[in-house]
Amino acid sequence: MYWNKSYECMPRENLQELQLERLKRMVNRIYHDVPFYRNKFQEIGLMPEDVKSLDDLKKLPFTTKVDLRDNYPYGLFTVPMEQIVRIHASSGTTGKPTVVGYTRNDISMWSELMARSLVAAGAGPHSVIQNAYGYGLFTGGLGVHYGAERLGASIIPISGGNTAKQIMIMQDFGSTILTCTPSYAIYLAEVLAESGIDPASLKIRAGIFGAEPWSENIRKEIEKKLKIKAFDIYGLSEIMGPGVAIECEAQDGLHVWEDHFIPEIIDPVTLEVLPYGEQGELVITTITKEGIPILRYRTRDITTIKPEPCACGRTHLRISRLQGRSDDMLIIRGVNVFPTQIESVLLEIGEVEPHYQLVVRRDGSLDTLEIKVELSEALFSDRISNLENLEKRIRDRIQSIIGVSAKVSLVEPKSLPRSEGKSQRVVDLRKI
Amino acid sequence: MIRQVSIFIENQEGRLNNVLKILAENKINIRSLNIADATDFGIVRLILQETEKGIEVLKKNDIITTVTPVLAAEVADDPGGLSRLVDALTQAKINIIYAYSFLPKKTDNAIIIIRVEDEVQQKAIETLEKVAQINLLDRETLLLK
Ligand SMILES: [Zn+2]
Repeated sequence: MYWNKSYECMPRENLQELQLERLKRMVNRIYHDVPFYRNKFQEIGLMPEDVKSLDDLKKLPFTTKVDLRDNYPYGLFTVPMEQIVRIHASSGTTGKPTVVGYTRNDISMWSELMARSLVAAGAGPHSVIQNAYGYGLFTGGLGVHYGAERLGASIIPISGGNTAKQIMIMQDFGSTILTCTPSYAIYLAEVLAESGIDPASLKIRAGIFGAEPWSENIRKEIEKKLKIKAFDIYGLSEIMGPGVAIECEAQDGLHVWEDHFIPEIIDPVTLEVLPYGEQGELVITTITKEGIPILRYRTRDITTIKPEPCACGRTHLRISRLQGRSDDMLIIRGVNVFPTQIESVLLEIGEVEPHYQLVVRRDGSLDTLEIKVELSEALFSDRISNLENLEKRIRDRIQSIIGVSAKVSLVEPKSLPRSEGKSQRVVDLRKI
Repeated sequence: MIRQVSIFIENQEGRLNNVLKILAENKINIRSLNIADATDFGIVRLILQETEKGIEVLKKNDIITTVTPVLAAEVADDPGGLSRLVDALTQAKINIIYAYSFLPKKTDNAIIIIRVEDEVQQKAIETLEKVAQINLLDRETLLLK
């Protein structure tokens, strides 16, 4: 099923023609309307007319979160405020948030792409969507909301948190689709199990999860525990919000809506564009946005572009599920470590519940990594040697896959901090 | 055969006490307690007066438990008592994984709790039954001691 077949399945040649035309228009606008971009173009001696092919994109300057912050709040907007109908912001870990503004057309485009995304994940007008993404400055809640309304599904704007109420609504309102973060989905599954509610007794059939990186194993766990199909959705407020990319029924990578965004993969250190198939940092250019068009935004998300045609018939490029964030990337004794890699190892080892925490310390001049893993009943043995072997197996696997030696500590169930939103997976105690 | 309750705890202040408190609050008598220690975790092994109820309240408190079958042997409280038991098992090529003593209230004899591999448990029972001055106890008898 498609929402907009002529665009979603457009032959690549036509799609690229459309992209080039839109990119040229976009570059022209930002050059003339945004001093920040004009300065950047002038610094490298480029004019908008120099963009003659899609390949020329790689000559253009990047935009980073810092640029957005430096131009706080409205410095990168290209239209006067009377044309802005909505403002969102994403909280940074330090200082001011980054602010984005949407024109009426932007909201309409976002709703369209979100409707496409919902349909790709199996939603339709009959769906009852329980939207447990937060409503507010965060784009998750309203993004899904507008897409669901555009699609004509029934949206329940419950927002995040209040798990008891979520469960009551799920039971009484007959929700068929759940939208939230993957860690909240796991939390919800645990609470359901504790309350003795069999997910099979609920109408819920699919979940659309995003806003944080999650692994294939987490997907399997969510699918098993909630008895649903779990789809990965990608988006970020700087680009638009949720719905920049979505998994289709093939569940093998997320289609980036290329008639509105151009994705690239770069090496985060050299900033060189990498060929399709190589892992690196995702860079996105918005080619239709009016309020705040963004040129080559460095997302900090690590992924690869999969150029192979997809079984679903959509022609838009896919990105693989996120491998982590270049910000979250821990550099331990010179080795790049992503929490998601550790998670995959843990799940591969056995039925260890995927509750873990990475603690990084500096011992003299040496970084040490401790991995605290909550022990599950299935792996418990009353013999010390068996448990010590389990620790060793995890340690050896991490050493061989990631190339970092770590101390593994088994801890009691539910002893690691849980949050209802994003999980607290990394504690970096290094003082640099 | 005796059902021993094995519990996983972190080696941190208060963790053992937490387990003991849960059992005490639920009025579950601990007849024997043994702790095995690794660097950062430990295994607490308990013989409880009410095994099932004990497991239930522990699980309710998110404590990892498992039931392990063990043997209980009453041996005369004399210098050779324990070595007769170990000798008999050694001669039968049965490896003792761990053993600890149970403190009886009503007899002067020593009672030893023994864990052997599950596969040789029956053989261990048969071996010890043949040894004079060793008395294998079933659950009811043990809890009366
Ligand atoms: Zn597809």
